[in-house]
Amino acid sequence: MKTIKDKVAKLSFVALLMTLSAAMLYTPTASAHGEKSQAAFMRMRTIHWFDLNWSKPVVEVNETMEISGKFHVFAGWPETVDKPEVSFLNIGIPGPVFIRAGSWIGDQLVPRSVTLELGETYSFRVLLKARRPGEWHVHTMMNVEGGGPIIGPGKFVTITGTMGSFTNELTTLTGQTIDLETWGLSNIYFWHGLWYLVGVAWLVYWCRRPVFIPRHLAVSAGKLDGLITDGDKKVAIIFFVGTIGLVLFGMGQANSKYPVTTPLQAGLMRGMVPLEMPEVSINVKVEEASYRVPGRAMQMTLTITNNGDSAVRLGEFNTASVRFLDPEVYQDDSGYPADLLADAGLSVSDNSPIQPGETRTIEVTASDAAWEVYRLSDLIYDPDSRFAGLLFFFDENGNRQMVMVDAPLIPVFI
Amino acid sequence: MSASQSAVRSRAEAVKVSRTFDYLIIWTLFMVLIGGYHIHFMLTGGDWDFWSDWKDRRLWVTVVPIVSITFPAAVQAMAWSRYRLPFGATLCVLGLLLGEWINRYLNFWGWTYFPVNFVFPSNLVPGAILLDVVLMLSGSFTLTAVLGGMAWGLVFYPGNWPIIAPLHIPIEYNGMMFTLADLQGYHYVRTGTPEYIRMVEKGTLRTFGKDVAPVSAFFSAFVSILIYFLWHFFGNWFSQTRFVQST
Repeated sequence: MKTIKDKVAKLSFVALLMTLSAAMLYTPTASAHGEKSQAAFMRMRTIHWFDLNWSKPVVEVNETMEISGKFHVFAGWPETVDKPEVSFLNIGIPGPVFIRAGSWIGDQLVPRSVTLELGETYSFRVLLKARRPGEWHVHTMMNVEGGGPIIGPGKFVTITGTMGSFTNELTTLTGQTIDLETWGLSNIYFWHGLWYLVGVAWLVYWCRRPVFIPRHLAVSAGKLDGLITDGDKKVAIIFFVGTIGLVLFGMGQANSKYPVTTPLQAGLMRGMVPLEMPEVSINVKVEEASYRVPGRAMQMTLTITNNGDSAVRLGEFNTASVRFLDPEVYQDDSGYPADLLADAGLSVSDNSPIQPGETRTIEVTASDAAWEVYRLSDLIYDPDSRFAGLLFFFDENGNRQMVMVDAPLIPVFI
Repeated sequence: MSASQSAVRSRAEAVKVSRTFDYLIIWTLFMVLIGGYHIHFMLTGGDWDFWSDWKDRRLWVTVVPIVSITFPAAVQAMAWSRYRLPFGATLCVLGLLLGEWINRYLNFWGWTYFPVNFVFPSNLVPGAILLDVVLMLSGSFTLTAVLGGMAWGLVFYPGNWPIIAPLHIPIEYNGMMFTLADLQGYHYVRTGTPEYIRMVEKGTLRTFGKDVAPVSAFFSAFVSILIYFLWHFFGNWFSQTRFVQST
């Protein structure tokens, strides 16, 4: 019995050591931001990101890069998510590996929250300055109050160099040029250190003498005389006056050193100017839509009417940032993240040009592993089983029209 | 040695044991406060203390003193009632600040690389010393609640102003005016903390024009008095010794 116990103890100890070693040595890089775990309907029916461009794949510390593109605020915004009346154009990165040097919706700088209108399309750009070396997944992102973060596509960007060389120099309205990375740091350490020492001095004063047992015995016996002496009271008054004096001195000194200060700035920004999109001359009606679970494919029956003056073909279906393309109509050369691009994932039963004035019913299938990888198939478990997305039609000259689709989705399990 | 015999055999030995006990208890209490008070404060004060762009003259001034007077009141009640020791508030605040600085330096800066001048904690030491001194000189929890609680709330903003003033210098950036603290919040990306979560300059305390901080400080001081009363009762309850009668 003892031998068995010893063996169990030894093996347990080895297992513990192995676990600790594994935990310490195996530290893989986190390479995503949970975008796949966000409910599929949130990604499909809120903000649709398109025409995205990451200006550089590699930047050095202190260099800038830009993410630009457009987003469409879906008119059929789900009831379970608050409307984007208070939204913030954010960026999905693992902490401040870049600083956000600027962000714009249209031409308006948007350092604060904004109001977005349903059904409108906006252009945006985010200027980032590289700060911390590494390979980082950089996402577009819109935070919506009452809705949470709505994350867009992400692409890896590499930062080279050393973080020690990063500077964030700015000139204030009082004419000082400062490095925001370290501005005021020694002042913070000084005041915190000074006050901590004052606090420690007060503690040490009381801990010089016996602290707990004799005092507890005296208090329990009602012998309070001598526990607080006249000398103690004098020292306490010195601390009291000294504290108030130091606070007043610090405040006076700060006011004379920084005579011009302003309160923190806040407030909602309204009136974001949407893009003027070309008039849509194509009418699309979703007759039915189903998601075939075993085949990882979504099938739509669409009735399309071309009211324009040139023939068009369906080239792209974009939903939740996953792009399904028909390569015979449109090929992407923008460097869009490969895992989100099904470059031959769209098949159309009859994709010959739809002539002006023609109405045609077609079967469209969007199939790719991305349905599973990006957990869009989980849509069938969402509280509102509908899908939505952008259809892009192209004419012979490469002109593009964007049409929103939104319809119930029926899962097919067998 | 039987259970009825003393563990010490001389006065010198008793003094030595007593002092060892003092250091052990102080150290243990300090560590418990670092943990307990820190968690309490992070859950209730949270972002107001984490980020410089939350440290405004209205809600920061109001919220932080109110939620932070809790543990000092409770520990004061224990230390004064049981030991006539007037350092409960200071001990709490020093523990909290040490815990916060460890957190801010190792986690916020060392792990996620937010600059320290963006994530420094609020300074609570002046209020703690005033609270301890008022208790010691008055010997009354009522006076400590009223005068000390008031001082705790009132001294908070001026006690922190020398630290935050440099971050309130205005700057023009891409055609808009910011303070440097606002710009820190904009530059140093917090994916999980969108701008609208920031609760700054919200409220109706605008009677005195631009002098918002004193009004907020007085309001905070009044509520601190009430919270002091409540939490000093907690301190009393938790420091009672109860004996069970043997049958």
